Order: sequence, then structure tokens, then C-alpha cells
Amino acid sequence: MQPFQYRRPATLDEARRAFDSEPEASFVAGGHTLLPTMKQGLARPPALVDLGRIAELRGIRDENGRIAIGATTYHADVASSVLVRERIPALAGLAGSIGDRHVRNRGTIGGSLANDDPAADYPAAVLGLGATVVTDRREIAGDDFFVSLYETALETGEIVTRVVFPVPQLAAYAKFRSAASRFAIAGVFIARTGEGVRVAVTGAGASGVFRARELEYALNKDFRAEALDGLSIDPSGLLEDMNATPEYRAHLTMVMARRALQNPGHALSFK
Amino acid sequence: MRVSMAVNGERVSREVEGDVLLATFLREHLGMTGTHVGCDTTQCGCCVVHLDGRSVKSCTMLAVQADGCAVTTIEGLAKGGELHPVQRAFHENHALQCGFCTPGMIMAAVNLIETAQTPLTEAKVREEMEGNLCRCTGYHNIVKAILAADAEMRGQHAAAE
Amino acid sequence: MLQDKVFKAVGRPLPRKEDLRLITGKGRFTDDFSLPGQAWAAMVRSPHPHARIVAIDESAALAMPGVLAVYTGADCARDRLGHIPHNPVPSTQYDMKLTAPGGGEVFIGDNRLLPDDRVRHVGEALAMVVAETRDQAQAGAEAVEVEYDELPWVADSDQATHADAPKLYDEIPNNVLVDTSFGDKAATDAAFALAAHVVSMKSHVGRVTGVPLELRAALGSYDAATGRYTLYAGSGGAVRQKRELAELLGVDPETVRVLSFDVGGNFGTRNRVYVEFGLVLWASRKLGRPVKFRAERTEAFLTDYQGRDLVSEVSLALDKDGKFLAMRASNLSNVGSRCVSLSPLSKGSGLITGSYDIPLATLRSRAVFTNTMPTQAYRSSGRPEVTFAIERLIDKAARTLGFDRIELRRRNLVAPSQMPYTNAVGSTYDSGTYEANMDRVLELADWPGVAARKREARERGKILAVGFANYVESSIGAPKERTDILVRLDGIEIVIGTQPAGQGHETSFAQVAADLLGVPFESVTITLGDTDVVSAGGGTHSGRSMRHASTVLALASEDLIAKGRALAAHALGVAEEAVQFEDGVFRAGERNLTYTWSDLARFADDPSLPEQLRGGLKVRRDNEMHTPVFPNGACVCEIEIDLETGGLDIVRYTTVDDVGRCINPLIVHGQTHGGIAQGVGQALWEQCAIDPSSGQPVNGSLMDYGMPRFDNMPSYKAEIAEVLSPTNPFGVKAGGEGGTTPAPAVIVSAIEDALAEFGSPHIEMPLTPLKIWTAIQNARPRASAE
Repeated sequence: MQPFQYRRPATLDEARRAFDSEPEASFVAGGHTLLPTMKQGLARPPALVDLGRIAELRGIRDENGRIAIGATTYHADVASSVLVRERIPALAGLAGSIGDRHVRNRGTIGGSLANDDPAADYPAAVLGLGATVVTDRREIAGDDFFVSLYETALETGEIVTRVVFPVPQLAAYAKFRSAASRFAIAGVFIARTGEGVRVAVTGAGASGVFRARELEYALNKDFRAEALDGLSIDPSGLLEDMNATPEYRAHLTMVMARRALQNPGHALSFK
Repeated sequence: MRVSMAVNGERVSREVEGDVLLATFLREHLGMTGTHVGCDTTQCGCCVVHLDGRSVKSCTMLAVQADGCAVTTIEGLAKGGELHPVQRAFHENHALQCGFCTPGMIMAAVNLIETAQTPLTEAKVREEMEGNLCRCTGYHNIVKAILAADAEMRGQHAAAE
Repeated sequence: MLQDKVFKAVGRPLPRKEDLRLITGKGRFTDDFSLPGQAWAAMVRSPHPHARIVAIDESAALAMPGVLAVYTGADCARDRLGHIPHNPVPSTQYDMKLTAPGGGEVFIGDNRLLPDDRVRHVGEALAMVVAETRDQAQAGAEAVEVEYDELPWVADSDQATHADAPKLYDEIPNNVLVDTSFGDKAATDAAFALAAHVVSMKSHVGRVTGVPLELRAALGSYDAATGRYTLYAGSGGAVRQKRELAELLGVDPETVRVLSFDVGGNFGTRNRVYVEFGLVLWASRKLGRPVKFRAERTEAFLTDYQGRDLVSEVSLALDKDGKFLAMRASNLSNVGSRCVSLSPLSKGSGLITGSYDIPLATLRSRAVFTNTMPTQAYRSSGRPEVTFAIERLIDKAARTLGFDRIELRRRNLVAPSQMPYTNAVGSTYDSGTYEANMDRVLELADWPGVAARKREARERGKILAVGFANYVESSIGAPKERTDILVRLDGIEIVIGTQPAGQGHETSFAQVAADLLGVPFESVTITLGDTDVVSAGGGTHSGRSMRHASTVLALASEDLIAKGRALAAHALGVAEEAVQFEDGVFRAGERNLTYTWSDLARFADDPSLPEQLRGGLKVRRDNEMHTPVFPNGACVCEIEIDLETGGLDIVRYTTVDDVGRCINPLIVHGQTHGGIAQGVGQALWEQCAIDPSSGQPVNGSLMDYGMPRFDNMPSYKAEIAEVLSPTNPFGVKAGGEGGTTPAPAVIVSAIEDALAEFGSPHIEMPLTPLKIWTAIQNARPRASAE
């Protein structure tokens, strides 16, 4: 890695001031998204502002009946949280399926979302549950947060502080993982709330996570796997790489959607 | 910057640049070469150590991020010349060949056993050890070793209660 | 022969002596060593598959912080550094003799440390930057500006043989450096002409890479006072590397010391010298400081010597009852941008008929240059490829001609009564009970229960399928080995020239020596890897180590026992004939006086000893052994395929392996397990793929290169068969590579079993879920139309 300045603020205010003095800085928490990128020379920020010791950014709370997860909460802690397991077990399961157990001990939800890796799992949950990304400046609806590949609605210097998830009636996640990277080739998060059904797909879209509107429409009328018969995803908007063609991703998306519906409350992982 | 931490129970304090990885700090600044680096994409697990009781990949954190923490490396497992049950189980079950992945593998296994609420099964071990690669053993004997150590440590724990 | 000896240590599953340091973090891998004042090296690598080097501008790099020097091919040429003398054409007595097209010496291409004219593969190093820290060296390497004149390139081996393909070397018109034919063409053609059936197949056993977990590294230093070079580097044989490095540096070999202590996996990738090894030695002399290099994993993927990449066209002629009459094979090996080792092509060539009695065969063996990283030996060099070809061909014959695939094999296996059996291309198999292996593995795998398991799996939406493969493989290896045995007061020290990277030589060789000398296993230590101590030896590859080590130890022990008897006789004042040696004790006839080795060691340095008994209680023995051995076995694997996703699980993997005498079953099973995983990896996930439009390698990291992991491999049921080889005192064959040899064949055999209902489409490895699903999709319309 190339040299950089390291700052570790104790409060959000300190973090903002650190960024003001180093406008090219990157924020880091667990580092499991940023550090690998820096090691490969794909990112060379002159400074890092570490949010990992800011107390108010970590923790899981009930916030008026919704689940608020602090931005620097580790995946392992979301997976084992009694609160999350009781209220949104599919979310706990999804967090427990990210990477491997060592990665889950350092990776954070804020870090994962801010990077918007097209194959990350959390974007599917945020979009699938209609969660709200709260920053130090505003609240961003899940539908507005993910702009494009590796691109979010966050402005320069904006800090994610927590993500607030509504509690659904039912939710489930199913993904098919690439043999090498172990990232999702197609991951489908389905949730039904009072406002209807949301189906979010990660790992497959050429512009990142997306909602499968046709599937939502059908499931709104009939919330069963059978309702998906005859439906398909258009391959033309999907990613192509060595491990999966757009057609394969389109097919897997439907298979994962069905398997999610057949296993409410669970997060399943296939390979 | 000054970074202070406990490494295998001993207080350590050094001046270090902010960009030094924890794995590099252990290997080059402290001369503890037991922790190994095997890849550049956080996938192989050779670098696994314990940080405040959690297994982490030391190649993907900065030494300064471990400030004030307790780090346990492979060198700190054996106590008073006596091998840890997992080390012994690896030896008895031929769960290592070239030995390069072994430190990270043992640290991962120790943490897996310590955090497992119920006795481990082969399926659970295979699922939970996904983050550690081995090119020599084909994994078979490592699974055996972890199950053996789990049974022994659970038995000891029960006996102690 | 030691057939009737009762062993105490040999044959027992003793846990290893090397473990203690490795499980406590006290291993000594190359990157663990540092020298005072050391600087770091980083390489500048070609981004192009083929290009002329027009100019190199080092000025920006030299201005970077910490950069000490930049070296290029011009600097190497000025200092008259030579080529790496890979000596790639196998030339022991029993190697298949490969020749250039038309006969004659093979043109191997040059392998200078740094080229000064042309780069011939993506990743070829053309300059080295040395700086105070590794990060600074890498930053410096990025700042070196190179002007290239891009040339047309070719990566595919078939394409490279065409007359109009881009040429890598002006000396070779169509890039083909080897073209040799074996076998009796007239008789084979006649047999084909009369055959009731002919089955053919073309397959590509693709390119993979070893991925040893220890990254390639080297620490070089030069001592001006003594004129000696020292290199710490993991290798497959420190002695060979010392010799080759001395030659290319143009110095006396005794001025070079190579230290390979703990080696984090080899599998073939470390058998040959890398340019960085020579470069750090040379740079350390020029700079007056030690120079260290450690590859990144992406660098290792790009520039570790790679493996396999064989295109095989095979045909089998059968009579109406399924008896194999004759075989034709044409094998094309992709050696990459220069020839580092022809071992895979040569080894494979001797085994094209596999475990079967095929009286006639012709073989055309070719090797071709392409603009890719050089290939050389990789786990079971050449044998998985030819096993793959013959076993799949037999499956195809069974499928298309309506024979049972087991019975078709049984009908044609080489029988024990035919041993030693010389196959149609001249390889003489020493011993083996192939049918017994086959029957045993079928029993262990519960072959009869497959039909019921298939039905049960179908109820769960899965296709259950089984694959079968026989194999016979060869272990030749460097023919010479040397051992020094030194008896000390507190134990026996053995110095030997093999180079383990996990095979447990410190343990298994101690077992052998302990039983030969009648001493406790604990009292024997094995010294390896430092060429100042290890003066000669063949390294470790091709399953050679135990066979050569146990043989030279047996011979050396005889010499040592003779010396011991002479010493004891002298001490006791009796004739040598009166001294017996048994179980580690020297006894003089009727008198009750005995000496242990330790006793003898005590007065072995006595200056009053007669001349011929002086010099300490030690011996040195050399042995040269050319006769190859042929480990063999059989293997079954059972898989389940998820029809909806193409995802595959291996649910059972069963093997029987004839390794000859098994010195340590714990170690041999471990070798089988690891070997299986590497073969399975090639079948299902691993591939060094090149983008056909750009010539760029696309699997640059573990993110793209799928590996066997805990959660995609099963537990194995592996049984050892011991059919002693008559070729060496212990009857050893080899156990290191039999796990890999049949693995690609057996996995693909299982997948073909699964896809039979979809019209048996032609499939090529790696069989990722995408490929399996695609095969099912493409076949479905045909299947439903039938």
C-alpha cells in the first residue's frame, strides 16, 4: 500500500473536522472493503479517517418499532443479535452469510453499504426491506440510496451513522455464490410489509442492486412461489463474467426467488 | 503514531506508521513470524489471529486499529510449554503438511470451538472454516482434528463444571 | 531385499517430528528470514503478451523515495549473466525420448534473468527496482516507463502450430519445438482397419497453477570478504538450484549456498529456478546489501510456473466383444513462452495406454511455444492428463457401444500374471494387481447401492451420479541421491538431498533409518535443505523421494554397519566375522560384550585407531537408480447435481492406491487427500484462462480462481494397497501423486454419468455450475424431442 495519514476521531464532530482538513480522505471502519482495494492499488487515499471508535455509531436498537443498526456494527453482531433474530431473522441470517467468520468479525454494515459492491449482500436487504440510511446530514430512503455500480447517493464527506430497518411480516433471502470469490452471482431478498411486497436482487444487475418489479407485482397478488411461474428476468441488464452469463444470472434469480419464498424467515446460501 | 496493545498477554508499545498492517506489525516490527501472509485479497486465512477474543484476518487491518486491544497469535497458544488441545489434535491427526496455513488454521479453529454453543459436526466445521485455505491436506484431517479438539475441550469444560 | 524384515517403525502411522515448530509458529519459511541492511526488490512486468522492448526510462523511478537502483536486461547482458540452465528435456534412461521435429536437439528458447530485446508473455519481468522498503520498490516499479512495440501474439496451443501463427522464436517456424512419434504405425493402422469399433475423442486438460500458500520469495546476499553468495528461497531441491544459479552467474558452485528450510507447498511450482532468485543474488553483489523479494498473490498467479495444458486426441480400436486392439494418441503440450520442463509431455507419453493391455499403439507427442507463462511439472506431471484421456475414452466406448463401463475395463486390465508388463510405447510396469484394486474400490464405494441412491436423490430434485477411473502412473525422478549418516553420542544424524514441502521426510526417513540401524525412531534426525551441509541430492518431485531415500539409506546403512562391526571388532580384539549386528547392537560371539551405536561413537574419534578405521562413525553413500516404478489404483466418486442451478456436491470419494510399501500410512493418506483435492480443483473450478481477444490472463487472484475449500470437498475413504515393487530394497513405489492422477477423470466420469440423460454433451473442464447448467439447457430440447 502507498503511505497515508491515519486519523482516529472519538466523536462524529471530530470525524467531520478530520475530513474537512483532509478532503481527499476515505472513511474506514472494519476496513474489509477499503483495505483490500488499497492493497491492490485501486484506491490511494492520502488519508484515512477511522470511524471504528465512535461509540454512537455502533450498536443495535429498537427505534420506534424499527430496528436501527449502527453503521460500524460488525456483521457477526447483527447475525447473533437477539433483537434482529427475533424481529427480522432473514436479516440476521443474511449478515451471518457474508464472507467468512473472520470477515464477519470486522466487516461493518456502513462500510459495506457505502461501497455498494454489486455483489454485496446488505444492499439487497436495505432495498428489499425499504430501509432508511441515516447519515450525519439527512435520511436517505433505500430506494434512493443505490445509484449505480459502486456508486451511492452519499455526498463527499457524508457519514452513514445508522441504518433503520422496518420489521416485515415475512422476509427471506437466498443467494447463489460464485465458486471463487464467494460473492453472490444472484441474491434475492423478498419482504412483505403492510405496504406490500419488495423483491431486491443483488449480484446480478449491471448497475448494482435492483428491484424486480414484475415479481413484486405478481407476489403482491399471490405471495407464493407458484405465482412466479412463467415470469423471468430480462438478461440484458445483467452482469457478465467468467462465472456467470446474463442468462444464467436471470435464471438463478428466479430460482433464488422461489427458494426464498419457500423458506420464510431464513437466509439460504447455495453454490 | 504510538500504538499499544497486549500481544499474547504482554504489553507492547511501538512507534508505527498509520499504514502498517497488523500482520506486518507482528511479523516485522515484533519479529513474530508465526503469523503468515498468503494472499492479497483477504481470502486465504493464513493471517488469522485473535483480537479481543474474535478471529480476524490480520492482513486486512491496520496495526493502529488494534490499539488498546488484546491480540493472541499462534505463538501465544501453548501455555507453559504445554500445547493447546487444538495444537495437539492437529499433530495427532496429521492436520498439517507444509505448515504454512497452519497458524491461521489453528487460530481459526480455536475461535470456532470457543464460540460454538453446541458440539461441532463435520458439516458445521466445513461451513465455518470456509475462510481458511489449505492446499496440502485436502481438509479431511483438519476436520478430524477440529472435531477431536472440540470433543476434548467440551469434555474438559463439562468436567470443570 | 527387505521383504522379510520385521519392522518396528516402518509401516506405523507415527505423528510427525516436523509438527512441533509448525504448530507453534516457529516454522522457517523464506519470508521469515531477514538480514541486516536488506533492501527490497519489485519487478517491472510486461503488460503485453508479445512485444519488442524499445526503450526503458528509469529516471522517474530512480527519483522516487527510497529507490536505490533499477536493473534491466541490458545491465544483465553487460555483466554477462547467462541463461537459467533449465535442462528441460528429460534424459534419464527410462524417460520417453522427445526430439525436435524431424529428430535432433530440441530448441528450448532462452530464459535470461531479464530480456533485453523482447517480452513473450504477460507478466514477464523486464526490469527490477530495488528500494529500502517493499512498498517503495513497488511504487518505483510502477514509475519505470517502458516503450513497447507490440507484436502479434498467440495463446492457444492448437492455433500456435499453424504456419501463419505469430512466431515466438525466429528459429522455430511454427512454434513447435518437439514432434516425436512412438509406436508401431503399420501394425496399429492395420489393427484399426480391421476393428469392429473405433471410438475417438479430443479433449483439453486445461492450464492450472499450483497456488502453494507460501508466496514465492527469495533473500539473496553476497559476502565480498569470502566471495560467497547466499540464497534463502523455498525450492524443490536446493542442490539443483545452487548448481543452476552458479552456472548462470558464472561462478564456482561452491561459492553459492542455497537454503530451503520450510517450504510452504511445492506441487511442482518450485522445482525450477525463478528469475528473481538469480536477480536478488546478482543485485546483492552490485549493491553491497542483501536484497529480498516476495511476490504478491496476483503476481504468483501470473508468474508462478503453471501446469498442464495438454490437448489430447485419442482413438481406441475394439473388437466386437470389447477387447482393446489398438490405440492412437496425439498429444500437444503448451509449454508457454520458453521451455522449462518437458516432463509432463514425456511422462504422459509413456502411459497413454493406462492400466490396460492394449497391444498396439502409436503416439505423436508435440510441444508448442505460446505467448503465455511457461508451464512445467505440476502434481503428477503429465499423468492426470493421459489418465483423463484413456478413462474418458473408455467411458465413451462403453456408452456408445452398449458395454458396462466396469466390465469393459475388467476385460482389458493388465493382469498380475503379465507383470512386469511392457506397454505398447515401451514402458515396463513393475508390479500391480489392477483388478483387485478395482473390485476393492467398488466394494468400498458401495457401487451396487448406487441405483437406489440415484432414485432417492431424484426425489429431492437432485441428480446423483457416479464416476469411475483406474490409473497407473509412473515415478522416475532424478536418478541420483546421496546420504551422509553420522553417528553422534546422542543419536543419528542423516543428511539427504530431497526437499520436502510437507511430505514429512523428517519423520518417514527417520522411520526407515531407525529400522535399518536398529535405533529408536526418536533418536534419528534428518537434515535437509542447506547446500553447505547437503552436498548432493535429487530434490523432491515426481514421487521420487522415498524410493531413492530408502534405497540409498539401505545401502549406506550396510556400509555403516560394516564400519561399526570393524570398530567393534577392533575394540573387542576379535575378528570382524565374530561380530554380529542385530537390532542396533554389536555383539561379539560367545562373549557377552555388546556395543551400541553410541558406545562406538564414543571411541570412533580415537587417534590411536588404525588408519582405515579413523574419521568418525559416519558414511557417505551415493546411489543412482533409473528403473521407474508404477503406482496404481482405482477410484470412485459420487456426486449430486442440483438440476436448477448446476451446483455440484461431491457426496462420496473412494480410492484404493497401491503405493508399494507404505512407510507411514498417516503421511501417505495425507498425500492422497491433498492430491485428490488438487485433481478435483482442476475438474471443477481451477483454470488459468486467457481472454481470446486481448491475450490477457483473466484469473488474477483468488477472487477469480476457484479453489478446493472446506465446504466444497468431502471427506474421503482412502485405502492403501501394498504390492511391493521388485525394483528397490523396500519395495516402495510412491504415494505422493496417486490422489491427483485419476481425479479429473473420475469427476468428469461422474458428471458424464449425470448428463447421460441429456444426450451426453461434450464437456470440458473446469465444470463450473455455469457449464453444467448450460450443458443441461443446451441438451434439453434434444432430449425432449426424442
